[in-house]
Amino acid sequence: MLGTVSLVMGSSSAAVATSTHFPALKSLPTSRIGHHNHFPTLSFPFVLPSTSIFTSSFLSSPLSSLSSPFNTAIAAVNSDSADKQESNKYYFLVANAKFMLDEEEHFKELLFERLRNFSERNKEQNFWLVIEPKFLDKFPNITKRLRRPAVALVSTDSTWITFMKLRLDRVLAESYEANSIEEALASTPTNLEFEKPENWVAPYSKYEYGWWEAFLPPATKAEAKV
Amino acid sequence: MAASAEMALVKPISKFCSRTLEFGSPRTRAIPFSYSKFTAIKMSATSSQSPPKPSKNANKASIKETLLTPRFYTTDFDEMETLFNTEINKNLNQAEFEALLQEFKTDYNQTHFVRNKEFKEAADKMQGALREIFVEFLERSCTAEFSGFLLYKELGRRLKKTNPVVAEIFSLMSRDEARHAGFLNKGLSDFNLALDLGFLTKARKYTFFKPKFIFYATYLSEKIGYWRYITIYRHLKANPEFQCYPIFKYFENWCQDENRHGDFFSALLKAQPQFLNDWKAKLWSRFFCLSVYVTMYLNDCQRTAFYEGIGLNTKEFDMHVIIETNRTTARIFPAVPDVENPEFKRKLDRMVEINEKLIAVGETNDLPLVKNLKRIPLAAALVSEILAAYLMPPIESGSVDFAEFEPQLVY
Repeated sequence: MLGTVSLVMGSSSAAVATSTHFPALKSLPTSRIGHHNHFPTLSFPFVLPSTSIFTSSFLSSPLSSLSSPFNTAIAAVNSDSADKQESNKYYFLVANAKFMLDEEEHFKELLFERLRNFSERNKEQNFWLVIEPKFLDKFPNITKRLRRPAVALVSTDSTWITFMKLRLDRVLAESYEANSIEEALASTPTNLEFEKPENWVAPYSKYEYGWWEAFLPPATKAEAKV
Repeated sequence: MAASAEMALVKPISKFCSRTLEFGSPRTRAIPFSYSKFTAIKMSATSSQSPPKPSKNANKASIKETLLTPRFYTTDFDEMETLFNTEINKNLNQAEFEALLQEFKTDYNQTHFVRNKEFKEAADKMQGALREIFVEFLERSCTAEFSGFLLYKELGRRLKKTNPVVAEIFSLMSRDEARHAGFLNKGLSDFNLALDLGFLTKARKYTFFKPKFIFYATYLSEKIGYWRYITIYRHLKANPEFQCYPIFKYFENWCQDENRHGDFFSALLKAQPQFLNDWKAKLWSRFFCLSVYVTMYLNDCQRTAFYEGIGLNTKEFDMHVIIETNRTTARIFPAVPDVENPEFKRKLDRMVEINEKLIAVGETNDLPLVKNLKRIPLAAALVSEILAAYLMPPIESGSVDFAEFEPQLVY
């Protein structure tokens, strides 16, 4: 049946050819894991912060070596990215406010996840959302392609901005320098209004209007409350 | 993962080839997981059909293989090595991979998967049909995550020399999958069961997919997994009366892992523009999307008890997940099906009807030959419905880094 179905699916005949089932390749981790037949009820190692993912009883050799490097790697990465960037350089992604704050709900989840991570590891926040940023005036090539009001995600961590560009895709990316953080994150007061989606079919409601206030630069937050 | 494409179409049909109880046991669905990764990984532990045994020694679920049993996946590792060899392939956007590596190293969920006593208490309260549903859900999910672990782990090992950054990302993703599988297996222990993953590793057949198909299918599996998890999470948060087992409370953070894994496959595809930029790529993209969506829809409709058990309307839930996954996928695949066209859902619903008839044939007492003859017209009807869905006018899509429509785009 598979063959039949696949064949009619356009050019998929190649898939039929390639999807034939082969037995496990010899080189697959079979041998490594295979000897652990004693899996007790808790067979799979459980992750606790201290023990990390793989207890040595579970996966011997290459995997067990993963555990400690993970923990130490975190510190290394964090300090790296802080050091290698000049503090007055800011990287940003920008798009219209509707896209950034209303449509891309995973974006809200990512930002809160990162905020939680920074607080767990006592890192100083280095990313913000800026509504109608003043720095856009320096980028006519961006503003002419931008619906307004616009919202920018700004960070001093260029590596993270590269990741966020990959995730959001439909955003424009650039960088700039500023003498102070206030200057870097200055914004023009703007009222944001989003129309309710015509056809909301999700079995949950949208994230609440204003979720982004946690990410506005400190000065703007104060203004927003007034 | 790759499974999806293949199993996708297999599942509704070959169902009849396997024993009904095995495969069709009408509950659960390996929730997000079976789509989330190595899709369609099907498994059925016999013990899920019988009352769990309290004895700790007797609690390993034994696994019966059927035609559609869970498969593990393998690929052409040499081709993978060539694809990601930085010396051969100068176009590799290492910046994206390095950015991903930093994200994976950050390890957002390092301390997330910690259980509490609510699990066991909730499990003890679950009896009868609901208990069975959950056990099957945990088994299938665990196997699916575990198969992801195996494939990513091996890729991490094999690419170490040619592209250490990509290799390390694979290793870190296998860390996530191992963690998820471990968490699920712990869940099984609440039901006095455990999956013997060592046995699984040895006993399973491995299905081979070329790298390109691994990319398309795994991308989709990870992203659809994200949408399934987050939808369930947000629904249960709003309707806590359906929160019958605490594992769902972990989904919000958990599914961020899935989403990031998907981003990585997005970067892998962008590093191989030949898989994105011609008419063949468009046909394949639509094929994989359709396969994954149809599989999920048919599968879930067979297991509405699970969704209804947690307060969801199965079809509405699935359509929401399909639409969102499709919108996400349109950020990278060069073409996607027009799933928001109401005709698409009508076609899916007709497929469900045909599939139900097919299942009914399997449940009759006819001779095997008679059953097969009865199936022919139904299978043909299903195929033509799927083909019609495939031929619906697609939507041109893609990353703005490649898409032809980029210059016209207003951000």
